[in-house]
This record gives sequence, structure tokens and C-alpha cells, in this order.
Amino acid sequence: MSKTKKYRIFDTQLTKKPMEIIANTNTEEKRFKYFGAGLEFAIIYFKNILLTIITIGLYYPWAKVELLKYHYQSTALDNSRFSFHATGKEVFKGFIKIYAILIALYAFLIYASQTQDLTLITTATILFYVFLLLLIPLAIHGSVRYRASRSSWKGIHFKYLGDRKELFLLFIKGLFLTIITLGIYSPWLQVDLRKYVLRNLRFGNVSFRFKGSGGQLLWITVKFILLIYITLGIYGFWYYKNIIKFYVDNLEISQNGKPVNFKCNIKTKDIVELLVVNFFLLIFTLGLAAPWVTVRTFKVILRFIIIEEGLDTENIQQVSYDDYDDATGDDFMDFLDFDLL
Amino acid sequence: MTYNILYFDGTSSKMHTALLQISAFKWEITYTEESNHSKTIFWETATIKKTNVHTVNFVSFSYGESFPFQRIESTDTALIAHLNTLKNSDLDKLDILLHTNKRKSFIYLLTAILGIAIGMYFYVIPAVTNSFITNLNNKSVEGLGNFVFKVLSIDLEIDAKKTKKLQNFADAIQIESSFPIEVYVAKNTEINAFALSGGKIVVYTGLLEKIENESQLLALIGHEISHIEERHVLKNVTRNLSGAIFISVLFGDISGINTVLAENAHLFSQLSFTRSLEKEADIYGLKIMKNNKVDLNGMSELFKILKKETPFNIPTYLSNHPMLKDRIEYTQKIAKEQGSISENTLLKEKWDALKTTFTNIETAHE
Repeated sequence: MSKTKKYRIFDTQLTKKPMEIIANTNTEEKRFKYFGAGLEFAIIYFKNILLTIITIGLYYPWAKVELLKYHYQSTALDNSRFSFHATGKEVFKGFIKIYAILIALYAFLIYASQTQDLTLITTATILFYVFLLLLIPLAIHGSVRYRASRSSWKGIHFKYLGDRKELFLLFIKGLFLTIITLGIYSPWLQVDLRKYVLRNLRFGNVSFRFKGSGGQLLWITVKFILLIYITLGIYGFWYYKNIIKFYVDNLEISQNGKPVNFKCNIKTKDIVELLVVNFFLLIFTLGLAAPWVTVRTFKVILRFIIIEEGLDTENIQQVSYDDYDDATGDDFMDFLDFDLL
Repeated sequence: MTYNILYFDGTSSKMHTALLQISAFKWEITYTEESNHSKTIFWETATIKKTNVHTVNFVSFSYGESFPFQRIESTDTALIAHLNTLKNSDLDKLDILLHTNKRKSFIYLLTAILGIAIGMYFYVIPAVTNSFITNLNNKSVEGLGNFVFKVLSIDLEIDAKKTKKLQNFADAIQIESSFPIEVYVAKNTEINAFALSGGKIVVYTGLLEKIENESQLLALIGHEISHIEERHVLKNVTRNLSGAIFISVLFGDISGINTVLAENAHLFSQLSFTRSLEKEADIYGLKIMKNNKVDLNGMSELFKILKKETPFNIPTYLSNHPMLKDRIEYTQKIAKEQGSISENTLLKEKWDALKTTFTNIETAHE
């Protein structure tokens, strides 16, 4: 009771006082810093591979959680580290569910193909893929909600307020338009999903917004298709930069109604250096350098991400907590090899 | 002893530089508030939750039975060293050990992974799949074969007349088979024949019309029956599949290029396995021929026909069958040990009946 009251008092104070008057603000430009180290991560990475092999894969959920936890705790903003609170047990339960669903689907498909009835086989195959496709928005919802609930910084938790049904309809609409436009609508679908997810994401009393448009993303993709072959693939570096900048520069965070922009100042030469070195590291070590490559990539990308002046990181208020322990959606995204990070 | 930490109360993002004092049952956190008053908070040891992955330079903890959770984080190495001396779980102990000498740990981990991976790939997986297939009941084996045949038969143009005659030939073979042998002749100019698990054999007309006598035909059918009896198809498929899955799980997370390398290595090892199965079928086929009292030279003659018809020879290591030259050699060696034989009139009769179907077609063509 007393806590709710406290928030209310804080809110009224804010509406009365303009931001500038609040003392002790900490609103200067913020940069991310990644503290991960190659050898250190390599030990965690290979330890988890070893445990996964020994347990014939059963350890995988715990391994996945530990690796993510490492990246979270190695990422600092404003001298404080992020924290990932997922547990292997939660992720494992999700896996069991996902595999039960998939096995049922496959069993159905195999049963249908045994009948030798061509219409039944075709229907079963179509149903199989349609079902997998329809699971995607539900998985996005579950995944974002789970990850948000399990992520915190400075003790403040993220929270996803999105509605499963709304996201589902948004996806169906976008999917339909993507199909009838032969894929041209796809950038709008991607952007709409991102806009929806970010609009419904909270960090304490801070909210998010994605300002990018489908048109911008389409143009990035069109340039890529037009130039990638002519330049024998070299344009890939520019494309990579454009994509990163598209997602970061269009991200906006709002504190007490005051918007603050994210910015990524990465240059094409940084991308070239990052990717070329990564490539050679992997080739010459037969892949053993994978953990070093991951660490390098996080270091470089995060170094260039800036939160512009205006966010008072000392005055973000915890609002409420969504104790969402269902990792099924997150596991499905993992199965499809999608990663939200 | 006090340690430097950062404290967050869980209600706001305000960061407090604080001092931590650790005793047996509680942690004492002290910081100075904005109003210059010193504030002390107590954490009961039992409720403290570690929230970090073990490293040598960072720790974080959360506290609270219910929301909001308080948090501390620290990069104080003295604190980390102290925590390492406390009671830790076995997995935590492993982490502490691994991070004390990172270079050494890295080498040990790699060696362990490599050792286990090799053991799994070369010993455990083959043994498990082999025993699985051997113990699978006949009905399931037939079911799988029928399923594959259903799919394949869409593209096969079965010659009913020749099929009937070849079936008569197969029925005349003296053999104790655990599966009903069903043969099919498919119209196809390729020189090929194959067996499906559970008893089905498909022979292409391209190969059948090259065969000259009943012992060559029995060599061919005997070889395929051996594949069926020994469940070679299923053994091959399960081993291939489980090996490929293992490789992709192991290498999938590392990098794309290495997955390609590993998959190719797997392909080579798989080819060598397939060749060993072919050789096994050749030897077993000879046994069937011997039991049916036909000339064992039929097998090497069959290979000579194949050799003549194959435009070039693929080196053994790239092929799924042993080199025909080798096959001719080892089958001839076995054939030499055969004593005198009387003609198997029944098989000869069935063979002659089958042969007429070819001569008829040829005349029809002319």
C-alpha cells in the first residue's frame, strides 16, 4: 500500500515541477560499455558446450541462460551492469512444451503421409507450415514478455505490456499483405511488429518508441539487392551499417513524457574491420575463436551506441513487476533461430 | 572487513555507493543518503540470490522475498576473493577452479570436448544405432520399407510381366529369410538395383538385360537379400542421421565454415561405412549362392559386367561401393574354394523364362 502511495506522490511532483528544477539529475549523454573478455567468455562457452555434450543436450537450456547472463552482466551503462534473471529450469520447461508441440505436429505429418492419400498429405503439409507460421507471433509475444520480465538494470525491471491477440492480428494482417504483394510488404510487417513491441515495452516508468518506417527499411533492402552483386558483395558492409543504424537511430526512449534518442555513430570502416577480423579469426582457428568473435562484436557495436542527453538515469522509478516464468515462446524463437537481441 | 559495492533499493534507479560487511547470517549494507544521514540495511544470508555468472571481476546479488528486489553489484576483487572461500555448490566450485588459471582451463576444456566428441561419434553412436536397428521388430522394419517404397514407386515404371518372372526366380531361391522377398523390375536404362528394408528389391531393366545366366542373377538378388537380412538400409540411414545431428549440434554453434568441414568429414566416414556394408553383402550373397549350388563365379562375372558398363572408376574413398576391381578379386578368391557343382535346374528354368521376356521385346523393337 505504502509503495503505491509513494509512486503517486512522485507522479504529482513531476507534473508540478518542470524537469529542469529537479536537483541531482544525471542527464548527460550516456554510452554503453561492454566488459566481456575473450578468454573469460571462452571458458564459460566451452564449459557449457562440454556439459551439453555430456548430458546429450539436456543441459542446453542452462547453457543458453548462462551465456546470455554473461553478456548482460558484461554490459554497463552509467557504471551499472545489466542483469538477466532467467533460470535454466524455466527455459527447460519451455523446451519440453515446444518439443511436445513439434513432435505432435510431426507425428500428424507422418501419419498423413502413411495413408498414401495425396489430398490428405497436401493438407497435412500445408497445415503443418501454417501452424508453424501462426506460432511465430505467439512466440514473439511470449519471448519478449519473458525476456523483459527477466531483464533488469539498476534493480529496475523491464516489462512488456503487449496483448497477445493484438500482436497476432497485426502479424496475420502483415503476413497476408506480404503474400499478396509477393514480399514487398515484408519491411512494413517487420517494422510494425517492432513498433508494437517497443510501444508496449517499459523500463520502470520509462517507455520506448520505434520511429522507423517500412519505407526506409524497404529502401535499405532495395539498395542491398541492387548493389550487392555489382560490388561483388562488398556493399554488404554498408548494408550492415545501414541496418544497425536503422534499428538504433530510430529508437526513442521517454521519461516523464520527455523523449530521448538513441544514436549509433558506427562508420562503415568500423564494420569492415569488425567483420574482416572476425572472418579471419574463425577461419584460422577452425572456429575455436567463436567466443572471442562474439565478445569483439558486442564490444564494437555497443561502443558506438549512445543515448543522447536528457535521460535521468538516477531517477527511473520501478513501477511493477511481471513475474512471467513461461519461456516457451523464447524457446520457439530459439528453435527457429531468431534472436531478439 | 568491508567491501565497496553499489546498492539499489529496487524502487528507483538511484545508485548508492555503499559498504558491505559480511557475517555468518547477515550482510550489512551501509550508505549515506542525500540528507547526509547514514543508512544501514540488513540482508539475511538465506534470502540472498546470486545473479551473476562467475567471473573474477564482477558479482551481483538480489534480495527480497517479493517484489521489489534490492540489488548490489561490485567489482571489488577482495569481495570476490572472500566469496570464493564461502560454502559453494559443486558447479560454483567448478567455475571458481576454471577461472583461476584461464589458459590451462581453456586447454583442458577443449581436450575434454574433443575426447568426448570423438568417443561419441566413433563408438557410442554406432553402437547405439546398431543395437537399436538390430532389436527393432520385423513389422516395424517392413513398415518403414513399405513407406519408402510408396514414395519411390511414384517415379518407378514397374514392368508387370518381368516382375512376375523375376518373382518366380526369387521364390525358387533356397533361403531362410526373416522377411518376405518381393522383387520389382522397373523400366530404366540405368545399370542399377537396390533393396529396401523389409524385403523389397528393385532391379532396373538396364541391369537385368545385361545379365547372362542364373548364377549372375542369383549373385545380384543374393547381394540385395543380404542387405535386407542384415537391415543395412536402416543401419545406414540411422547412423548417417544420428552422426549428422551430432555434428550439427556440436558445430552448429561454432561457425558456418566449420560445420561444412565437419559435414564433409562425416560424409567421408559415412561412405566408408557404406562400403563395409556392401562388402558384407557380397560375402553373404556368395553364401546364398553356395547354398543354392550355383557357380560362385557368377558374382565376379556380375561385377565384370558392371565394370564394363561404368564409364569411369571413382576412387574407393569417394565411392559408396568398393572398387569393382577389388570386388572382383575377393569374390573370385572365394569362388576358387568351391568344389564341383551340379546345375540348379529350377533356378535355370526360372531364369530362362525371365530371359524370354527380353528377347521378345528386342524382336518387337526390331
